[in-house]
Amino acid sequence: MLLEKGKISNFQLSVLIVGFVFGSSVIIPPGQGAGHDAWIACALGLMEGLLIVWIFTALAKQFKDKTIVEINSLVYGKILGKCISVLFIWYLFHLGALVLNNYARFFKLEIYPATPKAVGLLLVMLVCASTVGRGIEVLARCGLILAPLTLLVAVTDTLLVIPHIDLKNLLPILDVPIRKLLFVSHGTASFPFAETVAFLMVLAFVDKPEKGPSAVSRGLLISGFIFIMVAVRNAAVLGQMGTVYNYPTYIAVQVIDIGDIFNRLEALVAINLITMGFIKISILLYGTVLGLAQVFNLRSYRPIILPVGILMVILALTNVGNTLEMLEFASKGYSIYAVPFQIGIPLITLVIAKLRKLPPKGEVNS
Amino acid sequence: MTRGQRLKIYVIILLIIIPVFLSGCWDSIQLDKLSIVSGLGWDINLDTGDVTLTYQSIVPSQIKSTSSTSGSGEQKGGGALNTIQLDHSTGSSPYDALSRYTQHGSRIPYYRHTQVFIFGKDGAEQGIYPFIDTVARNPAGRPNILMAVSEKKASDILGVQNGMESIQAIGMAEEIKLSAAFSKYPEVTFLEFANRLMSKTTAPIAPMIGIFLETGPDGKKIQKIRITGTAVFKGDSMIGQLNERESSGLLWAINKIKKGFVMIPEASLEIVRAKSKIVPELQDDKIEITIEIDEESNLIEYKGRKDLTADIVQELEKGQAKEIKSQVMAAVEKSFSLDADVFGFGDAVHRKYKNEWKNLKPMWDEVYPNIKVVVKVKTHLNEIGDVNKALMKK
Amino acid sequence: MLDLLLKKLHFQKMSNNNSKKASEQHDSPVYLSKNLEENLKILREVLGQSSDVIIRDMKIGTNLNVAAAVIYIDGLVDRDLVNHHILQPLMSDLQLIKDNVGQNHSNLIDFIKSSVLTVGQIIGTEDIDGVIANVLTGHTAILVEGVNQALLIDAKGWETRSLEEAKNELAIRGPRISFNETLRTNTALLRRIIRDPGLTFESLQVGERSKTDIAIVYIKGIIEDSLVEEIKQRLKRINTDVILDIGYIEQYIEDNPLSLFSTIGNSERPDVVAARVLEGRAAILVDGSPFALTAPMILIEGFQSVEDYYARPYFASFIRWIRFLAFVLSAFLPAIYVALMSFHQELLPTPLLITVAAAKEGIPLPVGVEAIFMIILFEILREAGLRMPRTLGQAVSIVGALVIGQSAVAAGLVGAPMVVVLATTAIASFVAPSQADLGALLRIILVSVASFMGLFGIVIISLEILSHLASLRSLGVPYLSPLAPLNIRGLKDTLVRAPLWTMDSRPEPLDSPNTRRQSPDQMPQPPKTKPNKGES
Repeated sequence: MLLEKGKISNFQLSVLIVGFVFGSSVIIPPGQGAGHDAWIACALGLMEGLLIVWIFTALAKQFKDKTIVEINSLVYGKILGKCISVLFIWYLFHLGALVLNNYARFFKLEIYPATPKAVGLLLVMLVCASTVGRGIEVLARCGLILAPLTLLVAVTDTLLVIPHIDLKNLLPILDVPIRKLLFVSHGTASFPFAETVAFLMVLAFVDKPEKGPSAVSRGLLISGFIFIMVAVRNAAVLGQMGTVYNYPTYIAVQVIDIGDIFNRLEALVAINLITMGFIKISILLYGTVLGLAQVFNLRSYRPIILPVGILMVILALTNVGNTLEMLEFASKGYSIYAVPFQIGIPLITLVIAKLRKLPPKGEVNS
Repeated sequence: MTRGQRLKIYVIILLIIIPVFLSGCWDSIQLDKLSIVSGLGWDINLDTGDVTLTYQSIVPSQIKSTSSTSGSGEQKGGGALNTIQLDHSTGSSPYDALSRYTQHGSRIPYYRHTQVFIFGKDGAEQGIYPFIDTVARNPAGRPNILMAVSEKKASDILGVQNGMESIQAIGMAEEIKLSAAFSKYPEVTFLEFANRLMSKTTAPIAPMIGIFLETGPDGKKIQKIRITGTAVFKGDSMIGQLNERESSGLLWAINKIKKGFVMIPEASLEIVRAKSKIVPELQDDKIEITIEIDEESNLIEYKGRKDLTADIVQELEKGQAKEIKSQVMAAVEKSFSLDADVFGFGDAVHRKYKNEWKNLKPMWDEVYPNIKVVVKVKTHLNEIGDVNKALMKK
Repeated sequence: MLDLLLKKLHFQKMSNNNSKKASEQHDSPVYLSKNLEENLKILREVLGQSSDVIIRDMKIGTNLNVAAAVIYIDGLVDRDLVNHHILQPLMSDLQLIKDNVGQNHSNLIDFIKSSVLTVGQIIGTEDIDGVIANVLTGHTAILVEGVNQALLIDAKGWETRSLEEAKNELAIRGPRISFNETLRTNTALLRRIIRDPGLTFESLQVGERSKTDIAIVYIKGIIEDSLVEEIKQRLKRINTDVILDIGYIEQYIEDNPLSLFSTIGNSERPDVVAARVLEGRAAILVDGSPFALTAPMILIEGFQSVEDYYARPYFASFIRWIRFLAFVLSAFLPAIYVALMSFHQELLPTPLLITVAAAKEGIPLPVGVEAIFMIILFEILREAGLRMPRTLGQAVSIVGALVIGQSAVAAGLVGAPMVVVLATTAIASFVAPSQADLGALLRIILVSVASFMGLFGIVIISLEILSHLASLRSLGVPYLSPLAPLNIRGLKDTLVRAPLWTMDSRPEPLDSPNTRRQSPDQMPQPPKTKPNKGES
């Protein structure tokens, strides 16, 4: 498999998972829609996410060095396999466009009202493209440096906002109807936890594949706990208004004002978004171009990086009309649309693989 | 040079050129094109229903730094008279008025450093929801901005210059914060106000500001600002106010007491720490609320002219408790008479009795004045100061 | 596409030509003949009519009947050695030997080589090019009539700078010596620190016309073998006229010539080079340059100063953090200032904003332009201060820094906060002087981006820089080790400077075959059982 010669360690994998899950959830915290019970939705979503992770990491572990594209071809045969792979790649591509969309919307609203969205998106895409071109190892190393910084900022923000926290705002517990809570939890699982299914294109490059599943779970748990903490904090600080604001984390951090000097720290949140968004988009872009290269048997994925990237940006700009449509899709449509990709494909492939007793023993290490 | 390296160079060149062409300076604004609005006032003309907004903006050229190289010998501290300027614009809705600013200003108004929103009493009584909506929606509306109501017109308040701060709105904000720190009147940020507004039962509050005359060092009368009460809203309209005593009582009940003083006939005490809890009890559709207050204080003024003994200390503690309780009850009575749940009793009941709340909520206006309120106060006198005997006996 | 192809072919052709020219000289070695006159004729032709080429004819042997010649270049040789240890033995001592060794001339040369000349290094050669090349580097050649072999004696001795204090890498504690321009002196300095037999100096000559002596320094048994091979390969590949300074070597062998970041370290201090070689790196010394190269290099090395290791850990760690902070400040501060002032005024605390707005009032230029202008001015001043003749240097710094800055503010051309920002940046950039150049470049890039896209631009470009750094390798070692890939043990010398007694092993990425460098129990402790003096 000459397309990617790099290898990443399990620790780097966990870190990448954390970065990926944070992605655009830095400013769109999971659990929206459940009001001040968002943290419960997060916890439940985390559990569901772990289940889904268990499924697809089992698949990756079964086929040690192979990306999902290669697995599909093995399990379903060349033609059907490639069709399914194309569907999966479409999911990654579309997801990348959605993330870019979230990104652009936030910046346009809060920070750069006059600049056209295309500018920011293209700049981000250029950096992502050049990083993807350098290979998965470089991406992992960047993640190693960026993710801990983001964690540090998230924890620091929470500590600084303690004077404004009123835990009474979290009461009463389970205020939302159970059906809504479960629906929101499933939504949290789909965005962002189960989106880690994108790593089916990356798990092939881990140097110790047996430990892969636990590395992914570890990353998920860490980011999950941070989200729960953030959900608690946002609800405690913002009270009822937390359900009304589009970007509660950003507003919650605006409240920090210590000694007239430590205020206006919300810039850190925006920076976090840029860095974590960079990681998420890079992974999605990587998955897309690597997958396309594998489907079409290209010698290298590097020439198609920039074109695919620009197409992603175009899709992001033209896809959704305005924020309201986006919110509708995100809260209602996405959790259903994502299920076949996040659960369906990995689960069915795993089942068929087990039934067909694939991969054959001799072919494990190619 | 291999092809890969050549390509890298092209990409780098692209990376450098693209921002130059694509990005122009759409969002770049130089500071001297901005007019930093430090305070925003809202008044409603009762006859026409028009909204008049008053902008207090900072005039940077009048702010003198300590060592000016353009030594024109101006003295600092003479009360920087010209550091702010006032502008007014009128329109049929808040944003209509906001947009007319461009007709008389040379700079773009910048609201992200606004310190305080002032609502004229008349305007407040009409309902300020459109304004709240705009502030929440607009990214420039930060949650920390303080809310206040003025006794007469907001534009008057924003024009009053004197104080030690060079920017009047900053001074006003500091004054509000100070009075809250000394537990006299509440300090209400936009976020808190909006939260109370969103809760269907709790009444929003805001400090009230008035103008009074002070005789200056040269004998002339100067205008100064003073905080005079707490405005009480129902929904987004103001319906009444709490006086000084009632405001203190309110603060005692909602756990907003920080520093401050308790005055009783025999002594004055300095509050060290205070905590309060609102505990609702629901029995057969009857609501009983217990307000539990726990307070620690130091003795700072004793008028009794006796030597201090443990008994006297106990008496003082009891006296304090009585005073605090009466302040709280005064606030409770006033809120009953206004039928405005300023304490958040409704929310407390909601938190504890989730299921019953569904029935109570729509009837809260009737239920509220009939709530039985019990105030339990525990006080501790910690320190008696530097002396323990009377300096002069009776 | 087509012109890319053409250019490549053209480039190929050019490099072919060059290598041909270089090898032409050595295609057919010219040998010495037995006739002295013939040899001398060829030598005089090639070496030209330079007045410093000394060809000393003489007659030697018991009967003073054998013609011989000593050839050397005046100025390159140690005259004392030539006169007393070459000419004297040849001319007078040889006479005294009664044995008629003079009869068989080839024996004569062997005899001279083995028993007559009281010098250290002698080699024999039959190749005229060898004679010429060596004489040009400071050897003395002896030719004898009737023998087609020449003796070459290393008689180098020329004026060199005495060993001086290191001017660019200063340390308060620690030795003050720096390398000088003579290769042998430098190798001696290293020998004095590392007295291990494994310390190896492999020499090469690089440069067609300069034939510069280069020594690759490493410790056999500590360094990974493929590293040495790789360096040798790269050095052998260099095919150019002259190597004027070690900087040339660096630019010809580095891994990433197009990157802003250098992947080969350098130093002018023997103790630093010794420390790095002992960790498993290789060093390169070049005759004529007082600096040494060390490879592989990782990013952190630019922030480690020699002082760190001679001071105690707490202070050393603190200073290291100050150094990081200073570098980050010097690169980012102007850009952040520009971004905040032009785009993100809401991020400044209100009192600060008011002060800054007051200062900005009346300044005609936008902040971005102001900043770029001031940065360029600063670089001009810095460069002028460096290049200006010493006598005028003081005037420039005083005039430049104080007067221009102050006047610019007074004239209202530049805001006072801008000057403060820039002064801080300037001072901060010298905390890690080896990175000052890098800082200057980064600063300009960041300020330009900041003036176009604000904080977003700064972060994006920083991401790109990070991504680039993550992809750099220096001789196979990832540039961002030990942060990424994460290596916990390596962190002991990165963010903090852990106490010396904890640094038990050599850095992992260097893959040394011998990783233990001290025993694990080195933490000093007071003796346990001795009671204090005052107690019984």
